[in-house]
Amino acid sequence: MRPGLETLLRTTTFRLAVAQTSVVLLIVVALLAYVYVATVGQLVREADEAAELEFTTLERSYADQGLAALTEQVRQRAAASDSMLYLLRSARGEVLHQDILDVPRLPGEEVAHVEFEFVRRDGPGRRTGQGRGRFGPLLGGPTLLVIRDLGDTAELAARITSVLWSVGVLGVILSILGGLAASRQAARRVEAIAATARDVMEGDLSRRARDRGGGDEFDTLAQSINAMLDRLEKLVQTTRTAGDSIAHDLRSPLTRLRQRLEGALAAEPGGETERRALQSAIEEADRLLDTFQAVLRLSRVESVANWRLEPFDASEVVRRLVDFYEPAAEEGGISFAAQIDSRLIMKGEPQLITQAMVNLIENSLKYTPRGGRIEVRALEIGRGRIELSVSDDGPGVPEEDRDRVVERFVRLESSRSTSGSGLGLSLVSAVARLHRGALVLTDGLGAGASPGLRAALLLPMSA
Amino acid sequence: MRVLVVEDDRAMADDLRQSLEGEGHSVDLADDGEAGEELARSRSYDVIVLDRMLPKKHGDILVRDLRANGVSTPVLILSALQDEDHRVEGLDAGANDYLGKPFSTRELLARVRALWNGRELAITEMTRLSANDLEMDLLSRTVTRAGRKIDLQPREFRLLEYLMRHAGQTVTRKMLLENVWDYHFDPQTNVIDVHISRLRGKIDKDFPNTLLQTVRGSGYRLEA
Repeated sequence: MRPGLETLLRTTTFRLAVAQTSVVLLIVVALLAYVYVATVGQLVREADEAAELEFTTLERSYADQGLAALTEQVRQRAAASDSMLYLLRSARGEVLHQDILDVPRLPGEEVAHVEFEFVRRDGPGRRTGQGRGRFGPLLGGPTLLVIRDLGDTAELAARITSVLWSVGVLGVILSILGGLAASRQAARRVEAIAATARDVMEGDLSRRARDRGGGDEFDTLAQSINAMLDRLEKLVQTTRTAGDSIAHDLRSPLTRLRQRLEGALAAEPGGETERRALQSAIEEADRLLDTFQAVLRLSRVESVANWRLEPFDASEVVRRLVDFYEPAAEEGGISFAAQIDSRLIMKGEPQLITQAMVNLIENSLKYTPRGGRIEVRALEIGRGRIELSVSDDGPGVPEEDRDRVVERFVRLESSRSTSGSGLGLSLVSAVARLHRGALVLTDGLGAGASPGLRAALLLPMSA
Repeated sequence: MRVLVVEDDRAMADDLRQSLEGEGHSVDLADDGEAGEELARSRSYDVIVLDRMLPKKHGDILVRDLRANGVSTPVLILSALQDEDHRVEGLDAGANDYLGKPFSTRELLARVRALWNGRELAITEMTRLSANDLEMDLLSRTVTRAGRKIDLQPREFRLLEYLMRHAGQTVTRKMLLENVWDYHFDPQTNVIDVHISRLRGKIDKDFPNTLLQTVRGSGYRLEA
């Protein structure tokens, strides 16, 4: 879609261009005015000075030697100079000397410098010229007018003036055109980004705004939008995968459920076989419900807007959990140790931190064999961060799989046989993200073939 | 006992009625908040079971209005959202217990029973509890069975206290988790069973009859 002129006129860039044009216009006018004053003005001033000098010289010689001498002097000077023109009248108005053919109307008593247009003899003919004159009455009545013929200078001044005018007009036109072009250019780039957005809205999430690499504001905008689209695409991808995984993960338990119900139906009514089949059908249904519950909880944790995080003591949460799980670990022949710093105040949702730690502890309980050990830590680790971690000496997670096990529904082949939804670590990771922290998986307390796993929540402390 | 069920999902309401009547309770049904309020205020019930998302009047508001009008019947709120904030809202409004859907029938029945018993108990603030030949002094925090002193850790004491307050009735693992530990997650391990078996090891060891019984598929019961 090409931006039409009307659209163009409404754009911010065009308005900016207009404003800029006005500023340019002001500057051009100021510059031209300066040029005018510096050239034409200078010429005029020089002419005025020359006329003034001549006038005062003549005035002084009249004062010294009288009218007759003045008349003589004027004649001589007129003959000697081509650029000075004189008009001398006696007190009675009698013309004593006159170089110009038509006498302009003179100001009464004024002694001002006047701009004249005059007609003078020019060899055999006559010509019209322009000059600057100094006019004034002399003591005792005679009047003297001295005109400095501007001659070629006038032409130069006229040319300068006209050049200045054309430069001014041209400047204005150019700056308007420039503004239009700039806004057109900007509008086109905005339109390109808008087109990308429309494509994305129509479902093509792989479209990206063009980044011309120039680093200007449109490139910055394009980069931000692209980064946003990357994140969105990844989220949508995750959701799709999660949807597929849910369908996939639910198919087998649903199939088992169906088989058991069929078995119950086929069994002798009221018998023990029927009862057992129904019992295991219920257990299967409960596992399904647990999975749903876990999915729902995960989605809820992932939408940050749902939560209001307030300061609480994480060490207390961990202490209570250790107290809660200690007997279960001992029962399983696992040594269960805890290392807990007091007063670990962080901003968060204690229920979620509890749930995350429960997932980690239960994971370790599930995978640590009899005779193994588990250590729970809640420590201040400096730089305003705390570590809430569970380490064990079980089989651990191979380094190459550690990123993957955090994803939804991912369960390693080795753990397929045990119960679990494959959502436990995803939830822990989501809880960490919600609290502006991270879930870090490293080797645990073991060594060699069973390195164990240390799952640590690194979380910011409350300032 | 007389139970009022306020639930707009007809199938769910019928299931609830069937389960409760199976336990020998008599059940009235209301299918929206206003009808529920009218019944609750005009007749007397032992327990009210409410869905949270009710047409015409939200469950939380219904409970608040009932309490404001002097109806103190114990209320159990059922909700599809098991999350803590809604739980707290429901309890703040004046509900006595909160159960997230989906739940098992046994869980529901155990809780309805517990609510009814709880009301009886609340009337007298006790300093001593007893069940069978088990005695608990809440002030000195000592427990004796048949006159013999039993040493308990604080967590075991809290667990036994809850069981004794509900002696003779079935309590589910979930009820223990919520009321003894104030936890609202579903453990995937047998952690509750271990606590119970440790307690059992202390109170039932060396005695001919077992007081702390496992109720298959439901939970536990301390013989009264």
